[in-house]
Amino acid sequence: MSNPTDVVVVGAGPAGLAAAATLGRHGARVTVVDEQQRPGGQIYRQPPTGHTRTGRRTEAGRALLAEAAAAPHLDWLPDTVAWGVFGTRAGLDDYAGPAPAPGRLRLGVHTPDGGRTLEPAALVLTAGAYDLPVPFPGWTLPGVLTAGGVQTFLKAQGLLPGRRFVLAGGHPLLLVVAAQLVAAGAHVVEVAFSQHLRTLLPGPRDLAAAVGNAAKLAEGAAALRHLRRARVPVRFGTVIRAAHGDPELDGVVLSRVDAAGLPVPGTERTVACDVLALGYGFVPSTELARQAGCAVAWRPAEGGWIVDHDDWMRTSVPGISVAGELTGVAGAEQAEVEGRLAAYGTLQTLGLLDADRAAALARPVRRILARRRRFAAAVLSRFAPDPAALNALVTDDTVLCRCEEVTAGDIRRALCDHPHLGTANAVKLLTRAGMGLCQGRSCQPAVCRLIAEQTGRSPEQIGAFTAQPPVKPVPLASLAAAARQHDDQG
Amino acid sequence: MSDTATPARPTRTGLHRPDPTTIMVDGEPVTAHPGESLATALLAAGRRTTGETTSGAGKAPYCNMGVCFECVVTVDGQPFQRSCLIRVRPGLIVQTGPAR
Repeated sequence: MSNPTDVVVVGAGPAGLAAAATLGRHGARVTVVDEQQRPGGQIYRQPPTGHTRTGRRTEAGRALLAEAAAAPHLDWLPDTVAWGVFGTRAGLDDYAGPAPAPGRLRLGVHTPDGGRTLEPAALVLTAGAYDLPVPFPGWTLPGVLTAGGVQTFLKAQGLLPGRRFVLAGGHPLLLVVAAQLVAAGAHVVEVAFSQHLRTLLPGPRDLAAAVGNAAKLAEGAAALRHLRRARVPVRFGTVIRAAHGDPELDGVVLSRVDAAGLPVPGTERTVACDVLALGYGFVPSTELARQAGCAVAWRPAEGGWIVDHDDWMRTSVPGISVAGELTGVAGAEQAEVEGRLAAYGTLQTLGLLDADRAAALARPVRRILARRRRFAAAVLSRFAPDPAALNALVTDDTVLCRCEEVTAGDIRRALCDHPHLGTANAVKLLTRAGMGLCQGRSCQPAVCRLIAEQTGRSPEQIGAFTAQPPVKPVPLASLAAAARQHDDQG
Repeated sequence: MSDTATPARPTRTGLHRPDPTTIMVDGEPVTAHPGESLATALLAAGRRTTGETTSGAGKAPYCNMGVCFECVVTVDGQPFQRSCLIRVRPGLIVQTGPAR
């Protein structure tokens, strides 16, 4: 066997870095796979090689990045897509040849040099999360971006992707991004929060949860102060209704919402801008875990479908653990702590750590985790988007599936014509929604919300689009190379 | 407001960069910095639209982190490359619009 890897960690964000560094320090041979060139994930994203920051800013996540860089037994596979897990008896399990060696899993990856397979004894999936896509008329226009996307352009690429910015949605990230844009010299025309201010003010339970989490609250408060000083209007109870422009964005329509979060007719106003940044929260990237057969659960306040796990972060599939946003969106600090816990669990599975030692190492980590979870629960419940309010933004002409250009009207008609349909997969087969290059990552939440509204079925009954290998598009040559490598070794 | 009429032009800020190089985009030379993302180079060159849907509508970077595939272009003959993940290197040949 040419591949000496004990554990493959998929994703080099806070959870993956913490897991990999902890595993390596305890003697496991680790391969870290990530789509980006440099480690850090989205939150600790570093500028490209050869680029340095002009200011004397402390790089976020510096301690963790340094810890991972110094950890022994780590092998990095950057610019690499992990596209399928095999050997778990889930779905198309013989896709990449016969079963892997006993006690091993097979992972198909696409690297800049082509396709190959890795055969680790264990996997730690830490793929993170992405901005919740929220469709409304005009959201497909060039110039409409996610808040995370705008932040990455600014922080990691040093690019202001336009001149006049409107930020809209319901997540506190909007404040942080708006303040960063202002500091970089952009004109932020308005920040629109769909929630009413009174629903965002902390209650007694939240204040209790804030104990030990002051830094997070301070970050939001500082951003708000910065925006006030720059005279940027931050409006609450205000939603995005439409984006205009031909062929590219030149303005947006905002309107007030009532107490239930539904738009109030007659309150629409147009605001000129060339970038609209949308921030409604995040969706866990569960596709590889679901493809591997890991059991999931519906947790709307934590981002939708999350991966089930035990208190060592082990999933329902032997050998596969998860950490970070896949277990419910809760931010970088919690992701890092979960990454360490996943490592201690995996080290026990590998026989590199005995149960008593693992329990002792995990104790302080679990204390931090409990505090983070209280805070996340308090914050998440307040910022979780309401499905009815999101559906109210969608007209029949609104494109839900950007790749295949399937509209809400197409899906409503399909459901009317076929009243027996009621799952995400059935609607996908009938309408092509979710069949494009993004494989449903962009449209699934909106498609499932629409099915729920139309049929009255629960999210659990509707389910998710089945995650199939390859979970991201890779060239056929890469799949063939993976199979060939297996034959050569077999 | 006075600046609503000025054409939007994304601007580079906040980073020291390697000396610029030239890449070819749809047959035209575009100045870009080695290592930056192709999406950054395209936007900074004033190209807000980087692709086309089947029905002919414009497409552009949306998630900027490799999830949505809205920003895909053809790079050195390879179709469907995510411009947010591709890094600029000298002589890169890029084709926007629908893959053929």
